[in-house]
Amino acid sequence: MSPPSPIVSAKGVVKRFGPVTALDGVSLDIAPGEFFGLLGPNGAGKSTLMSLISGLKSLDGGTLNVNGEGAAAGSAGARRSLGLVPQHIALYTDLSAEANLRIFGGLYGLRGRALEGRIDSVLEAVQLADRRRDPVKAFSGGMQRRLNLAASLLNEPRLLLCDEPTVGVDPQSRNAIFEFLKERNRAGLTIIYSTHYMEEATRLCSRIGIIDHGRILALGTIDELLARLPFEEEIRYPSGPATAALAAELAAFGEVASLDGTDRFRPRPGYPLSSFYAITERHGLAPRLFTSQRPTLEALFLQLTGRTLRE
Amino acid sequence: MHTILVLVRKDFALLFRDKVSISLTFLVPFVLIYLFGQVFHVNSKDPGPSGIPIAVVRQSDDPAAARLVEALQAVKPLRVVTEFVNPDKSTRPLAEGDLRPLMRADAFRFALVIPADLIRQDGIGIHLRTYSNPRNEVEAQMVNGILQRTLFSSVPELLGRSLQARARAAVGGERLDRFNDAVAASVARTFGGDAADIRARMAAGSFGLGGAGTGVGTAQPDRPAVRDFLSSLVKVEDIQVAGKDVKSPSATMLVGGWAMQFLLFALTASATALFSEKASGIFQRVLSSPATRSDILWSKFIYGAILGLVQLMVLFLAGQLLYGIEIGPQFPHLLLVCVVAASACTAFGMLIASVSPTAEAARGISTFVILVTCAVGGAWFPVSFMPEFIQKCSRLTLVYWSMEGFSQVLWSHASLAELLPTLGRLAAMTAALMALAVWRFRRGRIFE
Repeated sequence: MSPPSPIVSAKGVVKRFGPVTALDGVSLDIAPGEFFGLLGPNGAGKSTLMSLISGLKSLDGGTLNVNGEGAAAGSAGARRSLGLVPQHIALYTDLSAEANLRIFGGLYGLRGRALEGRIDSVLEAVQLADRRRDPVKAFSGGMQRRLNLAASLLNEPRLLLCDEPTVGVDPQSRNAIFEFLKERNRAGLTIIYSTHYMEEATRLCSRIGIIDHGRILALGTIDELLARLPFEEEIRYPSGPATAALAAELAAFGEVASLDGTDRFRPRPGYPLSSFYAITERHGLAPRLFTSQRPTLEALFLQLTGRTLRE
Repeated sequence: MHTILVLVRKDFALLFRDKVSISLTFLVPFVLIYLFGQVFHVNSKDPGPSGIPIAVVRQSDDPAAARLVEALQAVKPLRVVTEFVNPDKSTRPLAEGDLRPLMRADAFRFALVIPADLIRQDGIGIHLRTYSNPRNEVEAQMVNGILQRTLFSSVPELLGRSLQARARAAVGGERLDRFNDAVAASVARTFGGDAADIRARMAAGSFGLGGAGTGVGTAQPDRPAVRDFLSSLVKVEDIQVAGKDVKSPSATMLVGGWAMQFLLFALTASATALFSEKASGIFQRVLSSPATRSDILWSKFIYGAILGLVQLMVLFLAGQLLYGIEIGPQFPHLLLVCVVAASACTAFGMLIASVSPTAEAARGISTFVILVTCAVGGAWFPVSFMPEFIQKCSRLTLVYWSMEGFSQVLWSHASLAELLPTLGRLAAMTAALMALAVWRFRRGRIFE
């Protein structure tokens, strides 16, 4: 049995804004049912790629098919099968929640009972059914975000594009949104989620594309990505005069990088941790100064670009 | 104080970042003062309006009638029209029967008929007919004043001829000629001069009242007493071609200009709401659905046109309730004009939004363009008061044609056939403005 055709297939996608190349030969396939993360710093090209997939912008080069049937991005067929959660609260805040949903549902040709049924369904799903008649401006930021999400699900899309949908959201609402998206994904919805938060990508996404300067730098599951790192563990400790001699000695056994007042020691594969602690003891440094953790996507990004995601 | 200065500096920094605002800060006052100066002919060698068309139909062969026409042609504010232009561009003298249709088509708003019985046979004095469409009060008063002055300057001569004619009818030609000969000889003997010349002048009606050179009894038509006397001798039959039955003339004349200014500001503000929808990301959501950019633009157009139509109808209703503007009998035609005027204003607002980089710039540009088009289009002053090149420009504005439409309906009670050319022009302007707006929106980045 052949694998299902990708719901999104990009081949050599190029997008320019004047002299700036925002996307430079992006190629990737996203399978139906995937929770795909697009991870990169601000200005990396995430939103541009989302705009191309949703048909808001046109390509300058390459091909981009959406919805698994070879429909070009931006075609009516492609747009009918996707939902977009914009970065902004793209709602009419003076209108009630259900008035907003009636407008956006109408754009997909929904009307009458079918429309009312979909409104009931999405409001229930984002737990705003009891506030349906309240004006959106009376909602908290988290509630507005949830309604922003609900409006994108009215047409029961096969593909949901989430463009940094949790910007400015409190942790509780963020968790609620994460759980909601995971549940939808489990129910078969394909989700492309762009973020510059490594934690969000790690927590939500089954596969991740790391993007920077308009190029996909790495693509794979989290395990596949982390396996690209030449170390299995990262040890951190405060950088400073007291640890300068330690850093110099550790450099012989791996990589030491200093960032934000913290030294990060990434030992070569097979380097025994017992040796590390023997050295620290010799330098008279207390064990409580050191923390050890599995490598992260942040580390991979640093490895790939020499910069952090926040830069 | 330091805090205030910092905040002031901030505002200037923001202003200088906005090239449109900077341009408008200097451009708006400059252009407006220029237009006001042009309208009021400030520092002009030739002050006052010029080129107000007035038709003159000469049915009298009397040489004095020809001189009256010449006198009118010499008056700078007037442009005397004496010929009718046929469709094949050939011309013939204007006939009285041409006046009404041409005046209803606004070819001119004033006409003077010098009838065959210019010199009254039934008494002393002269007889004239004027046709008027005084849809603009200021213009009508000015033209009446000019006509009165010109006529009264010619009255003494005409009055003399009237006396001669009356005397000829009463005593017979032979006896009158003898009387004239005797008087001429007596005047020549007493005051000097050539008896034959004085005799010729008397026959032409000149008794020296018109300042013919004798210095005796020179008429001064500007003096009230003289004017009253002359008025009693000049019988002018005024035929008002339009607006005669209008119950509230002043309000009816002005309402079109008010309506257009109001509508332009309201609908341009509505069109600039596109920017707030862009900023909130709503266009992203809408355009990721099956809706297209054209759908958004046409929905805005239809919304603006309906909103404008409702606002105009409310405005006219308020005019009827408060000032007695009569809209009832003309309602269907008024509705038609309102539909096309609202559509044209909406298209104008959308064009402004399409060429503006930001909402602030759109507000600045629209204020500038609306003020200029209202001034040029005749919403503030009669177009005929402006220099000729501005008069030509005014016919390119939707303000001019919308006001024309309102005036045709409310003042002239125009028929649908009479209204169609104006409606057609406004519809064409709407189509042109909308085509430009759509083209600009498609090229611009408002939807990205």
